[in-house]
Amino acid sequence: MPPQTFGKAINQALTQAMELSPDVMVLGQLVDYKSGVFGTTTGLVERFGPERVQDFPVSEGLMTSAAIGAALVGMRPVIVHQRIDFMMYSLDAIVNWLSLMRFKSNGHSNLPVTIRAIVGKGWGQGPQHSKSLHAWFAHLPGLKVAVPATAYDAKGLLLESIFGEDPVMIIEHRSLYSMTEDVPEAPYRVRFGHAHVRRRGKDVTLVAIGSMVPMALRAADQLASESIDVEVVDLRTLSPLDDGTVCESVSKTKRLVVADPAWRSVSVAAEIIALVSERLGDKLLANPQRICFPDSHTPMSAPLEKEYYPDEARMVQVVRKASLE
Amino acid sequence: MNHETILKMGRYRELSLKDADPGVVKNLHRFMLRLRRCEEALIAEYHPADEMKCPIHFCIGQEAVPAALSVVIKPEDYLFSHHRTHGFYLAKGGPMNSLFAEMYGKATGASGGLAGSQDLSMPSVNFCSGAILSGATALAVGAALGFQRQKKKHVAVAGFGDGASDEGVFWEGLNYAALHKLPIVFVCENNRYSTYSPQFKRMASENISERVATFGVTARTVFGNDVMACTSMLREMVEGARAGRGPYFLEAFTYRMNSHVGPEDDSYVGYRPKEEFDFWQQNCPISLLEERMVEQNLLSAPEKEKILKKINSEIAASFEFAKKSPFPGNAEWSKLNYSRGSPLADQLLKDCELKEFNQNQADTIPGPY
Repeated sequence: MPPQTFGKAINQALTQAMELSPDVMVLGQLVDYKSGVFGTTTGLVERFGPERVQDFPVSEGLMTSAAIGAALVGMRPVIVHQRIDFMMYSLDAIVNWLSLMRFKSNGHSNLPVTIRAIVGKGWGQGPQHSKSLHAWFAHLPGLKVAVPATAYDAKGLLLESIFGEDPVMIIEHRSLYSMTEDVPEAPYRVRFGHAHVRRRGKDVTLVAIGSMVPMALRAADQLASESIDVEVVDLRTLSPLDDGTVCESVSKTKRLVVADPAWRSVSVAAEIIALVSERLGDKLLANPQRICFPDSHTPMSAPLEKEYYPDEARMVQVVRKASLE
Repeated sequence: MNHETILKMGRYRELSLKDADPGVVKNLHRFMLRLRRCEEALIAEYHPADEMKCPIHFCIGQEAVPAALSVVIKPEDYLFSHHRTHGFYLAKGGPMNSLFAEMYGKATGASGGLAGSQDLSMPSVNFCSGAILSGATALAVGAALGFQRQKKKHVAVAGFGDGASDEGVFWEGLNYAALHKLPIVFVCENNRYSTYSPQFKRMASENISERVATFGVTARTVFGNDVMACTSMLREMVEGARAGRGPYFLEAFTYRMNSHVGPEDDSYVGYRPKEEFDFWQQNCPISLLEERMVEQNLLSAPEKEKILKKINSEIAASFEFAKKSPFPGNAEWSKLNYSRGSPLADQLLKDCELKEFNQNQADTIPGPY
């Protein structure tokens, strides 16, 4: 099992999906250029041709609608957005058509459309390149949402999305792209609605999403040296959400911290805390905590940007406090 | 051609049956009469018992374009429609029973009672509609892309109104369809109003087809109540698209006789001049055709009676079917919104042992861009 970067694992998933089925096509701005959207689509056009790997006009709304129409007649399109912010042009297509078609056709239409949307962070990405909007999309019925944290999950979730029957939004964090992990060569699946306990612990449950996962594991390592045993749950998919694994972990540790790389208010972190409180509120030994971004857009300036994003030290502090309460 | 010139022409005299196949003419007539009667019957039942509890956008006056499409498109072609759905649904061969049942929110409706009139779809006859203006035109572009990719000789047809062309995504779709020569026919039923808002309040240039032509799309205009002219133009366009000469755009000038939504007369709003309404009433697409048919001995009063009798009994049976049908049972919300399984994933993908992630890797701050 060779080590692969997160970006290369995505590239491998796309290559294999296109080999497995002629119905798979990739649409997106600059997907057919050598740089290939941070390397994730590099080499595809040479291999599968411009009909299946298509650069797209600056028409994000149409791109999503075209993917919907193509899926209705039997294709399995994957669309790529260099930044999730640009995808906002396609909200009508996503909200009013993509997520709705199965429902309004009484289950007679299925739309296997996969949307890859990338979130930027660092090096002054600023307010229009760095939004983390996974909570918005997880709120919507009929759309599955994945936020992979590792190369293994990035490949497996992407393949599962392409060959699944429902529309999927995969939100990829750019800061994870060069992280490596052992990734199986064969096309494999990571199922939706299955969180993964990445570290076993008995003192506090730290639920982490996407880019917060590696940080959570490092924070847990640091806390272990203080004899605080942290259990780290990687949610992997937000819709459907694996509430079973989360609640099982919290029933054991009786303490909960959620690390969500998004704005604090009305966040997935808020949802996790709500669902745990509904079921286990009387069993908790400490108030649940969340580690999120301030309710503010992202600053470009480096010192402010550093303050804006929670770091490992802050995470350690919050988890330590929760575990001692 | 535009609305102004049309309004000046008085009673339209140009509808011609010359060289027309009498069988096709009779089909067009029967289709329009069936659609008209079906709408009138729904209107008669709409308010009294309030059993159809959903907004309906009636298409009385706009029968010609759906009729023309009904004879020129094939079952394997796909038709996408705006919220004024009934004509297009019937054009694609959707059964009247499931149309009526959908209005009543019944389990036997085209969409199991989940969608109603304005979101009606029926995948089994390749029909899809939606209430939000131009969204469906963009979906049609995608279906055409799929057909082209699959090397199938199918055509996607988008039916929409002048209001839909106010939206950006419509122009995005037109550009993309022209760029890739997609097998698509855009059919704009220009009835001059977006709800109550007339075209001149929304567009500096009235003629949509002139703007469309600048995108590299073959664009033509037609008097949209001349069902014969609509048919011959759409036939040419659908065949052209099928042969890979697409995309095409047809702007058909027509008029709705009822209010934007519901069966009422909304003239109290004061948004359309009486002369305009009267003009279009005199140019009803059905009576224009009937007049010529009678002249050419293609229709007699007893023949029409016979057709009407058949249509009326179909309508009565559809009402009975709809009213007797059960409402949908208790909802399983997740089943309605998500698929049960992933058969293709089961077939193509492997299950793998999950390795633990190495937490000691550092995430990276992306370099330039």
